[in-house]
Amino acid sequence: MHSVSGVTQATVIHDRLEVGEGAGAGPVAPVGAWAAEYLAAGDAERRLVEAALRCFARWGIRKTSVDDIAREAGVSRATVYRVVPGGKDRLVQVVLCHEAGRLFHTMDAELSAAETLEDLLVTGIRGLLLVADGHDVLRTLIRDEPELVLPHFAFHQLDRIFDLADTLARPHLSRFLPPEDVRPAAELLARVVLTYAFRPTPWVDPHDPDSVRRLVRTYLVPALTSPSVSEPSLSDRTTDPAQEST
Amino acid sequence: MERDGLGALTVEEVAREAGVARATVYRTFPGGRDEVVGAAVAHAVAGFFADLRRDIGDAPDLATLLERGLVAARRRLESHAALQRALQEEAGQIVPRLATVMPLVIDGVRAELTSRLARERLRPGVVPDQAADLLARLFLSLIGSPGSWDLDDPDAARRLVRGQLLAGVVELDPPG
Repeated sequence: MHSVSGVTQATVIHDRLEVGEGAGAGPVAPVGAWAAEYLAAGDAERRLVEAALRCFARWGIRKTSVDDIAREAGVSRATVYRVVPGGKDRLVQVVLCHEAGRLFHTMDAELSAAETLEDLLVTGIRGLLLVADGHDVLRTLIRDEPELVLPHFAFHQLDRIFDLADTLARPHLSRFLPPEDVRPAAELLARVVLTYAFRPTPWVDPHDPDSVRRLVRTYLVPALTSPSVSEPSLSDRTTDPAQEST
Repeated sequence: MERDGLGALTVEEVAREAGVARATVYRTFPGGRDEVVGAAVAHAVAGFFADLRRDIGDAPDLATLLERGLVAARRRLESHAALQRALQEEAGQIVPRLATVMPLVIDGVRAELTSRLARERLRPGVVPDQAADLLARLFLSLIGSPGSWDLDDPDAARRLVRGQLLAGVVELDPPG
């Protein structure tokens, strides 16, 4: 079921992200496919996505029309509909797919280079906080259209972000944590990144790598490797993966 | 708001419900409808946390406070009819409102936790203000979005608190 066509894939993600109307009832989206979707996109789609992002940054989602995006990309309206059938709503979800995919793609190489859990967390948290800090489109949308953006980051909708975090972090966290600890770890890290992205604090400053390392070393590494994270029956296991017997 | 939701609220209705003139509403809230809704949401949030504090204020230590707090807050949130209704029907209205009052909520929880941390054995390198900030944010995040934690289950809450929340912060007695 992961090998659906690009359009169907986008529909699934559309339902899941509840962009616009017709939300909710779709099957569970394979979030990891966002990265594949991004990598497989043709040049025409990529140009449209970049044009749409520039339009959203300038005018917001609500006021951007398909004509605006076509003009920005230097193509006809008909071309937009041919490359991304379904109009603006579909374009919004394709843009979201691409941004999530881009994030996956750029972070993945950096995270793979980390040799300790501490380095992995510092790289990941710092990288994501820098992305959030420098993402003009996201910041503009949060400021101007909070009613469209913020619900995706609160209450039960955060479960989707947790799925995304799990997909992004699992291959990397699995190098340092037993499989059953990965999901709770990914959720904790997502909470940390989101709270300090939305409400920055001087003591966790992505422009000061030492501050992120203090957060990770003092609070997060113990939190993720504490025996009581797992079921009580596993509480006697060691936290050193090198000595992990299972 | 509990009866009709946020979107349909008018100053006239608020005035009628309160038994005052429309002019009185505008005298109290010069910003009109927007300010009335903001004040009502802030009032509801303050009430929520005042109730929560009564639920758990007598907890003997930080770990117990957080464990009971997560369970009690989650229960209160799930049974909060006005909030659940707003999240279902007008998330775009309620979530930005709650986001606006969030800094004050974080401040309040952080202050409570800072005073609690003063009575705990802290792990080496822990800075109380930082620990309180992180714990307050995680606590609030967990209440709103428990993720894969089942906070109806006190054992799960206990594992969560003694692991993810406090393992880096305080010296805990070994379990059992």
